[in-house]
Amino acid sequence: MRPSRIVEALLHASHAPLSAAELARADASLDEEVVERALAELRAEYAREERAVEVVEIGGGYQLLTRPEFAPYLQRFDSVPQSARLSGPALETLAIIAYRQPVGRAEVEEIRGVGAGGVLKTLLERELVEVVGRSEGLGRPLLYGTTRRFLEHFGFRSLDELPRPDELPVVLARSGAEVTSHG
Amino acid sequence: MLAQAADPYVVELERFHGPLDLLLHLIRKQDLDIFDIPIAHITAQFLQAIRQVDRLELERAGEFLEMAAVLVRIKAQLLFPRRTEEDEDDPRADLVRRLLEYEHFREAARALERAEAERLRRRAKGYVPPRPAPPQAAQPLETEWAELWTAALRLAERLAEPEPLHQVTTRAVRIEEKIELVLQRLAEVARYEFGSLVSPWGTRIHAVVSLLACLELAKRSHLALEQQRPFTTLWIRRPLELDDAA
Repeated sequence: MRPSRIVEALLHASHAPLSAAELARADASLDEEVVERALAELRAEYAREERAVEVVEIGGGYQLLTRPEFAPYLQRFDSVPQSARLSGPALETLAIIAYRQPVGRAEVEEIRGVGAGGVLKTLLERELVEVVGRSEGLGRPLLYGTTRRFLEHFGFRSLDELPRPDELPVVLARSGAEVTSHG
Repeated sequence: MLAQAADPYVVELERFHGPLDLLLHLIRKQDLDIFDIPIAHITAQFLQAIRQVDRLELERAGEFLEMAAVLVRIKAQLLFPRRTEEDEDDPRADLVRRLLEYEHFREAARALERAEAERLRRRAKGYVPPRPAPPQAAQPLETEWAELWTAALRLAERLAEPEPLHQVTTRAVRIEEKIELVLQRLAEVARYEFGSLVSPWGTRIHAVVSLLACLELAKRSHLALEQQRPFTTLWIRRPLELDDAA
């Protein structure tokens, strides 16, 4: 069986993005390199045939998604509008967590000037953020970070793809390993 | 709820994600220099904007009031003539830093929102639901008048004409009588089938006049008509306001 067909079958049958490593597990004849070539082959094939779906790199994996120009035709089937867009406060909170992770609730509240309990709960429930550790600060508060689901929701390959408006200052750069405590 | 919606200030305040959002809006809308905020002016506007703050839930109200206190304190500090040229001594410095930081994240949030909108234009497998679930709860009538009419006629046709025992002249069916009957039933039960209005008589003219009575009452908001799909059971029920009051 051609690797590109195996990869296609897996992508077709999956709800969530699959990484190259996960795809390679399907058959002994596959490894990540073969999978990457197969993916490139599929992409070229879909583009050539003007298919309605394409292979999109998202959330650390690959997924078959419809092309954006078909959105109007799919819109009327949206039976769960709740699943779609996030509220303004949720987006602000997510932005802070995404750029400052790992970050505690106190810092999120300090930056937004409002309580974050309710919004954080929603984001946790929707698996857009998760607890990634505890701060060394007083009371060892929980620290939050974004999830793979977050990347999928916004269509990012990885955190490196986070939009960075020019006006965002250096302080918003990802802190990486550094864990700061907040008073 | 209704009283709140009628008040423009409360609606205005609800729109903002918090005191920083409101403050930033006041500053940016008037094109003020954020590094040289006219505190007295802004404080007055802020207090004006939140004067209905007690209508907000307690936690949100507290957040706005806290900011009001900060502004008033800065305003008081500025009145003291002990200002030096050093930036650190400007009592506004911390507020400016917070505003700028918040603004950056607000921009970042907007960037995320755009990414989200773009992402939602692409759909994965399983997006279209397996089959539309039949609506369970009572829903507002979404039926065309013509469909309603046809449904009523079909119902009338289905009803067997009773064997006439003897010849009688057709008695005129008056809409006023039917209106009374419809309302009477509605006073007894909150919701009933249209068919049950007609079955005791079972003639086409009763069905038609009953329907006319229902339409008239629906127009006057004395009742609501429900039908899940064309040609299915037509329900008559009390209008929502009356239900809530009961």
